[in-house]
Amino acid sequence: MFTELNGILNASPESFTPGEFILLSDRQSDASFLIHHFLSFYLKARCKVCFVALVQSFSHYNAVSQRLGVSLTQAKEKGQLTFLEGLKESLSVLIPQEENAENQAMSFLRDPAAGLRSLYEFVQSSVVESNGGGGAEEQWGPPVLLVDDVSVLLSLGVRVGAVLDFSHYCRATVCSQLQGNVVMLVRCDGEAEEDDEGSQQLMRGLTHQSCLTLHVQGLPTGYCRDIHGQVELCWKKRQSDGQHTPKKVFQFKVHDKGVSFFARGTSSAVL
Amino acid sequence: MLSELLQGTDIGGFLLIQDSCTYCGRDLLKSFIEAALNREEVIHVVGFDVSEGELKDGLKSSVFQRLHFHNAFADPLGWTDNSPFTVHQFSSSGLTELLNQTAQSKPATLVIDSLSWILRHVSPTAVCHTLQQLKKGGAVRTIIGLLHEDMHSRGIVGSVCRLATSVITVAPRTKADEGLAKITRRSKSGKVVQDEQIFSIRKDLTVTVLSKPTNFGRKQSNTEEQVDPTANLTFNLRLTDAEREAKEKLALPFVFSTEKKTALLHSGPGSGKILYEPDANDDYDQEDPDDDLDV
Repeated sequence: MFTELNGILNASPESFTPGEFILLSDRQSDASFLIHHFLSFYLKARCKVCFVALVQSFSHYNAVSQRLGVSLTQAKEKGQLTFLEGLKESLSVLIPQEENAENQAMSFLRDPAAGLRSLYEFVQSSVVESNGGGGAEEQWGPPVLLVDDVSVLLSLGVRVGAVLDFSHYCRATVCSQLQGNVVMLVRCDGEAEEDDEGSQQLMRGLTHQSCLTLHVQGLPTGYCRDIHGQVELCWKKRQSDGQHTPKKVFQFKVHDKGVSFFARGTSSAVL
Repeated sequence: MLSELLQGTDIGGFLLIQDSCTYCGRDLLKSFIEAALNREEVIHVVGFDVSEGELKDGLKSSVFQRLHFHNAFADPLGWTDNSPFTVHQFSSSGLTELLNQTAQSKPATLVIDSLSWILRHVSPTAVCHTLQQLKKGGAVRTIIGLLHEDMHSRGIVGSVCRLATSVITVAPRTKADEGLAKITRRSKSGKVVQDEQIFSIRKDLTVTVLSKPTNFGRKQSNTEEQVDPTANLTFNLRLTDAEREAKEKLALPFVFSTEKKTALLHSGPGSGKILYEPDANDDYDQEDPDDDLDV
């Protein structure tokens, strides 16, 4: 959890806006540090987190989260975190063995054209389960869904329409029905001119569905050692205090144990 | 023109609001709903994109009994067993049945949020067919639809726009709470009127139309200014009355009046005559080569 980002977003583990769909996106850059921020943020806020991790292994996220002060193994044992390790589970679909039962959530690998209904049902079962928990378990806060990342589904053969349907259903269940939050990462590598490219259309569709977007990209002037890129924050809804502040741009630098954000031109290397 | 559209005088029409990622058109859609509710109309909303709570947020709660929300947000594809409204129920018969479920004395206004969701799952021809049938049938007074134009190809967007009697395309302005609306309105006689207006939506969903965009204003001021070339010179270009009279009397050398023309072309008595005897080599053409001149 990066305290400077909490200040920018006007949120803290004790108080954050419920029912939000936050979209993280990047173009020719790497926004995964934001996923680590939100993962540790919501775990510290005592929310029930469902993490669909399709690109990295559990040990990777665990190692980074420990540097941010959160232990994923402990959260998983306590029942606070439901972790779907996409890389490992996909093996059970592709190489079926008798000992490992096939995880239904990844069944879209077998038939990508059929859509992501089974993945949605997995998400639904893990977030709804918290509400039906017995008195013996600890009571956790509102459910949170994190997905890292959505564009890899496109390269696995799923259509853009199916991914948008999946995100719609997640939003309907987690944000609207259960007043939880959804955070999704979408990556776009292509140039802006390729209009009919799937990832561009996916990003546009998800932007329409979201109420807060954080877009990470490199500096327009090129590589810099002290400034790793810029983040553009876009709020769609009017803020609760009535002010309409739709866009803010910050530059950032990634350190070993955190990320520092500053207004453009105020990097410590420059001043 | 935006204020006229908000007054809803278009009966039997289809109003389309087009937006994009950079500016959300849902606030304008809510302003239209609010204006229609204030006119005591019955509104049916088919909501795919947002939930009922999010759509009703900002509308005055006293008029909710005339607003019927059909929940297509919770389960539009029928993935659970009891879905209130699925995308496949979007047909003229399905919608007419839905409207008839609530007893009403007068035709209702149908609001579709959004057409983009439906176009992703139903073929564009079927959607256009349904919209056309709804327009012609009597169950619906007007249709207001929201379309995300950057989610579809230009052909599909063009087809839906063709059906609409009014199209409002919204875009952002540099100032955060202002928007730019490009309006195209087709009247029943076939006349098409286009306009551009800057608007802003207040918290109570009333729309304030601000001035036209500045490039329109600049063009008008150029044509109206008449610059006087004889002013601000170090020498005198003006004429006195006597000089103006003499100037007008002057006959210019190559401006011909009819008398001058006939005098030149038909030489009078006393002026020299030219007699010409053609040689054997000459190619004498009896036709007058100047016959086709319009002098």
